[in-house]
Amino acid sequence: MPTHVLQSVLPGLLQQVPTTLLYWFVPSAIALLLGTLLCIVRVGQHRVLYWACTVFISFFRGTPGIVQIYIIFFGLPKLFWAVHVDIDGWPAGAYFIIATSLNLSCFVCEVLKGGYLGVDHGQIEAGKSIGFGRFQNFFRVIAPQTLQISILNLKNLEIDVLKDTSVAYTIGAMEILGYANRVISNQFGVGQLWILGVAAIIYFILCALLELGFTAASHHMERHGRRS
Amino acid sequence: MDLDYDFMISDLPTVLAGLPKTLILTFWSMLFAIAMAVVFGGLILSRVPILKQSVIIINTFIKGVPLTVQLLFCYYAVPYVAKGCNGFLGYQYNPRHIPYFAAAVFALAANFGAYITDVVVSSMRAVDRGQYEAADAVGMNKFQGITHLIIPQAAVISIPSMTNYFIWLLKGTALASIVNVVEMLTTAKISAADGYQYLEAYIDAAVIYWAVCAGIEFMMGRFEHHIGFFMRQPESRVRPISS
Repeated sequence: MPTHVLQSVLPGLLQQVPTTLLYWFVPSAIALLLGTLLCIVRVGQHRVLYWACTVFISFFRGTPGIVQIYIIFFGLPKLFWAVHVDIDGWPAGAYFIIATSLNLSCFVCEVLKGGYLGVDHGQIEAGKSIGFGRFQNFFRVIAPQTLQISILNLKNLEIDVLKDTSVAYTIGAMEILGYANRVISNQFGVGQLWILGVAAIIYFILCALLELGFTAASHHMERHGRRS
Repeated sequence: MDLDYDFMISDLPTVLAGLPKTLILTFWSMLFAIAMAVVFGGLILSRVPILKQSVIIINTFIKGVPLTVQLLFCYYAVPYVAKGCNGFLGYQYNPRHIPYFAAAVFALAANFGAYITDVVVSSMRAVDRGQYEAADAVGMNKFQGITHLIIPQAAVISIPSMTNYFIWLLKGTALASIVNVVEMLTTAKISAADGYQYLEAYIDAAVIYWAVCAGIEFMMGRFEHHIGFFMRQPESRVRPISS
């Protein structure tokens, strides 16, 4: 194992960890919000909105993430240019975050829908019967139980998103893999397999930490359901 | 928004010509992924002491590393492997024709094999215990019971998950475009390079992917309905008392 390769590359790779976490966290936060809204429409009664959302979700679930990233990357500036707004100065990471947020929202929506359908309908009626309003019922009864049912599927989604941040380098956003690739091409490929191996181990550790966090969260959420 | 609609329509057949390559890549990757999953799943189910643990460790590591990293790793590693295989089974190493396609198949198969292992294990475990006893009762030995009774049922149980992973894999092959494999996305990219009409070509590609994925989902749904007849509950003639 060439130690000097490791010594020169590892600090740089570790410096990119916050960027990767940013590319993971911002889409996750946006998608939780947008996914909830999509989910409310999908389980609701409004026909036109329902079909619009269904087509939207079908598109984002039926096309590869990398194609969506490319389309946003090339299409969004054109779209904004049509209304005379110049967004050419935006960093590549912004396009990645937008594309991933839209993509992830659709998957989160489907997971939350599954969780919502798993909530006992009696619970919602119980909430109404003790005088909760719509919002109170949503935040106190529906949302916590939906989350509890769907947390394991959410965990898988979030791990996928953390891993898919590595695609960002294809549009020039700098993160762990992008940095590794740049070092590889700067060194004309010396020690390329070792550098990629180190990057792989960093990703693995990040995924393991995320997994531990979600397991702890799901354990915490199930505290009321446990029988002693 | 000024899209070149004429180019978009005229480019559609060009991009569509890349679809067979995507499907071939998907087919080989899926085949090797299933082979790997069956072997690994068998090792987990048969509880061979050390092998079981090593399979679990390998799968956990594969699942924790992005597919992009695995593809790039295989992309950089394949020249060394190809050089090492020179003369093996009549293979001639040629630095001008490095088998990047095989590297992509290997990376995709390893990645999805790790996920499909779980499908294999859980489908086998989902078959009712009574079926094993039934095999005993009609005098089949263990091997016969597994091949004639358990595997056919487990295969049907696994169809929805397999369909999911097949569609994931079809979408995952788009990533192979970053490692010099010519498939549909690469075809779209090449066709757009002349006039810098990337957006139009990528929209074409997206539409084709969308249609193919929706088609596969629909067909597999019908197929499962057709083949899973034995799992459906017989229609009750007595109407249940409505609550």
